[in-house]
Amino acid sequence: MVEILIVGAVSSAIYAMLAVGFTLIFGVARVLNLAHGSFYALGAYGAYFFTSTLKMPLALGALLSVALVAAFGIGVERVLIRPMRKSQLAVLMISLAVALVIEQALFLTFGSEYRNVPAFVDTKFRIGHVDIGGARLLALGVSVVLIGALWLFIQKTRVGSAILAISQDPVAAQYMGIPSDRIFAVVMGLSAALAAAAGILAGPFLTVQPTMWLLPIVKAFAIVVVGGLGSIPGSILAALMLGYAETIVGYTVSTSWTEIVSVLATLLMLVIRPAGIFGRRAAF
Amino acid sequence: MTLLRFETSTTARTSLALCLLTLTIMAPGGAQAQGKPIRIGVPTAMQLQVGRDTQDALKMAIDDINAKGGVLGRKLEMVVADETENPETGISAIKKLTADEKVDVLIGGYTSGVTLAQLPHISAAKTIYLNVGSASPATNAKVKTDYDNYKYIFRVGPLNAAHQARQMTGFISGFVKGDLGLSKVAIVGENAKWVQDLVPLLKKGATEAGADIRATEFFDAQTSDFSPLFSKVKESGAQYMVVILSHASSDIFAKQWYDSQFPLAYGGIDVKSMDGDFCDRIGSKSVGEMAANFAVRAPLTPKTIPFFDEFKKVTGRSPVYTAFGANDAAYIYAEAVKRAGSTDADKVIKELEKTSHVGIPGTIEFDENHDVKPGTPTYKGPALLFAQWREGCKREVVFPKELRTADFVYPSWIKK
Amino acid sequence: MFGRRIDRLGVAAFVVFMALLPLVFPGNYLIGVLTVSVIYGIWAVSWDFMSGLTGRENFGHSLFIGVGAYTAGFMNTSFGLNGWWSLPAAMLVAMLFALLIGLPTLRLKGPYFALAMLSGAVIMQRLMLIFWEQTGGEEGINGLEPLIRSQLGFYYFALAALCAITALLALLARSHWGLILRAIKGDEATCQAAGINVTLYKIVSLIISAAFAGAGGAMYAHYQLQVSPQLFAVVTSITIITMVYVGGMGSIYGPVGGAILLVLLTELLRRFGEWRLMIYSVTLILILFFLPNGLIAPIWRRVRATWERRT
Repeated sequence: MVEILIVGAVSSAIYAMLAVGFTLIFGVARVLNLAHGSFYALGAYGAYFFTSTLKMPLALGALLSVALVAAFGIGVERVLIRPMRKSQLAVLMISLAVALVIEQALFLTFGSEYRNVPAFVDTKFRIGHVDIGGARLLALGVSVVLIGALWLFIQKTRVGSAILAISQDPVAAQYMGIPSDRIFAVVMGLSAALAAAAGILAGPFLTVQPTMWLLPIVKAFAIVVVGGLGSIPGSILAALMLGYAETIVGYTVSTSWTEIVSVLATLLMLVIRPAGIFGRRAAF
Repeated sequence: MTLLRFETSTTARTSLALCLLTLTIMAPGGAQAQGKPIRIGVPTAMQLQVGRDTQDALKMAIDDINAKGGVLGRKLEMVVADETENPETGISAIKKLTADEKVDVLIGGYTSGVTLAQLPHISAAKTIYLNVGSASPATNAKVKTDYDNYKYIFRVGPLNAAHQARQMTGFISGFVKGDLGLSKVAIVGENAKWVQDLVPLLKKGATEAGADIRATEFFDAQTSDFSPLFSKVKESGAQYMVVILSHASSDIFAKQWYDSQFPLAYGGIDVKSMDGDFCDRIGSKSVGEMAANFAVRAPLTPKTIPFFDEFKKVTGRSPVYTAFGANDAAYIYAEAVKRAGSTDADKVIKELEKTSHVGIPGTIEFDENHDVKPGTPTYKGPALLFAQWREGCKREVVFPKELRTADFVYPSWIKK
Repeated sequence: MFGRRIDRLGVAAFVVFMALLPLVFPGNYLIGVLTVSVIYGIWAVSWDFMSGLTGRENFGHSLFIGVGAYTAGFMNTSFGLNGWWSLPAAMLVAMLFALLIGLPTLRLKGPYFALAMLSGAVIMQRLMLIFWEQTGGEEGINGLEPLIRSQLGFYYFALAALCAITALLALLARSHWGLILRAIKGDEATCQAAGINVTLYKIVSLIISAAFAGAGGAMYAHYQLQVSPQLFAVVTSITIITMVYVGGMGSIYGPVGGAILLVLLTELLRRFGEWRLMIYSVTLILILFFLPNGLIAPIWRRVRATWERRT
């Protein structure tokens, strides 16, 4: 029981980090960036590259990886996404193509084998009578901290207010003189950084291989829709629900059924309450 | 800039041309093989390690055969087509190789699902296919029942899943129960069809040998979190965890097993663990695992160690299992063609059926389903060797006893 | 779409070109590639009819393809019925699934509808794997009988099917029906207020779209001679959407070109070995970025305009 509680929390934390960034971009720019999963992958591969090939210490490699992925995210937004922002489908398609290109680049550079991202904490901890790896606990802790920090940032800073303003009413925000393009870049950087951090934290105990971007983005998509597009608390809540649902099914039934349960839950949610839990709008 | 001008007369130019022409014709080419080259089509998953090793090992064999004069005076050449892990791409790869590139033989294969999808198209193209990667017995099932259409299909490697199940039964009864004295076993396998076909055979054989199968769990190949699985296995009261992993995330499995200091040792079929750098790339976390290999760098046959060394020299890597099949397949085909005196498929098939080739994992012979025969105590065919990862990421063969290079050692945190 | 003479000429030229291609360049490889591309064309056109016209992007089109293909697989291997029974059966099953999933989800819009349909396809894929004893798991169903033994014969059949389906859907799109669908794309609320039974139109369009997708699935099964859960994959749906996008959304005829182009591209890029998919993806980005309205439909409109100016 305690094990389910902890493992579920770790899963939810990773999902939350991905979903929050994804929903942030949607809330602000009204686009679904399918390359978000690629930022997750690049974060993990960056950490791998800096520590294995360039032999850097892990902390430095991790920070560098996050920074580079954030910069890359800003670049992708500026070059490929911004010109297409009129059409949601166009952004969807082009971000997907970007994800494919990145996947192929990873295949060609690093090969198809699983790569090893070293963990910050490798020892085992004992909580109650449950053994849990240090890397997992760290992932849980850091994601709580980072999401909390993001929340504070949005609530307490000027840039944060600008983000809120644009997501509530883009036109009015522009009339108020808020530089929306610059805010988009900031949001993109933040969400890419979060995704990269998730990749680095989860890398030690999850897969690191070129196709690792697809499953997380499908899950993030589902979480974000269930939580309510554009709502951060909604994403967190939905991430918790999904993470725990999967863990509980995995422990009680079998891991083959976890995916069906979460997809079915998503479908039911959409049919019953399309706006999501905290969604502001049901449709467009 | 001064231009050098040569006085050229017609005679001089013609003589020069004739000289060059003669030199070109007479240019030494070593053991020159005249005639149209024999084309080998290679349908394989190019982006994966198994695909790369298939190609490299095949190329080694081809270069060697060509250097010795080729086959019937003709050189061998290789054409690769990506089959990925998708049946659609696989089928178009076969069509490209047979209808477009018009190859004489196909050597390749990896995913059973793709190979099965390709079979009717290979049969329609009447081209011999030497499988080096997929293990489902279904790929060869039709050879006997529909010989005229499916006689083209041969499997050089690996041993099919049913043979592997029997060898695994030997592992459980001989090693886990026999050597370690543990009779309570949990079987954990990925959700692939060949595994699902294999496990009932395994359970039956192991139970007959006196083992107590406490749990049988299947999990998705994409599973990234094995905690629920480990939990169930621990609760079942098993003393040893037998695994059957192929496409699944063996890396994560090993890492999570190590990180959580799971109280059971594990071993079995773990395809990714066959990789030479498996242990290194997960930070030595697989030390203690017993994994089945089709060949390790040990004198299984006179060819084994030279092959491993040559492969390492040429590619810088340790070979994965498709490399053994690909290398052997080239020689087997070349020898069959030599005996048949032509590349005509029907004639070559007759000769292939008579194959008895000393290959890398053992002697390669085919049964009536054109499927490679497994080794027995009296026949030195390929067999599963169970090797354990040790400190420093070295591998030692622990089972079968005849080939043991070191005794089993429990993982450091398990007190026994 | 067929009203103008240039359009009729264009269609004729296309059909003649496609029919002659395998005769000029004989070989089973090209025929194979063309047949697969034609079937993708059928899928793309059927997608465009519903999603292109109404603007409700269906990210789960692979669901209808998959159920059609598996229906054919079961009927052929378990019940021994030949392929000509599979086609109508596949259409019926696909239509049934469209009704089942369409009714609760068609009131959703945008990403919500997309996700709902995607979920449907994912669930079916999972079920095929979970019930591996009946469905063959990831190895799928093998040993189907070909619908038409001759490679060229099958190709011409598929080509004829594509033309017939495209013609039918294009006519529907040009008719009153298409007008209403486009109106729904523009402003659904107003349509509803005007007394149009929006739900009926959407659901019937989805059913029609599914019927032809399922038919294509059955054809595919009887051509590749195997059925695998990969047909239900998200990748399949997205590939088709990309083809429609490249062809020109909402044009019905554009996706045909998009499908053929992309399938040919994937095959032609084989010469680049490991770099094949990379080059394909980069090409895709370039097309999506520089040609946001697609490639085929805008080109054709330009051709048409030039012709009209000259005559």
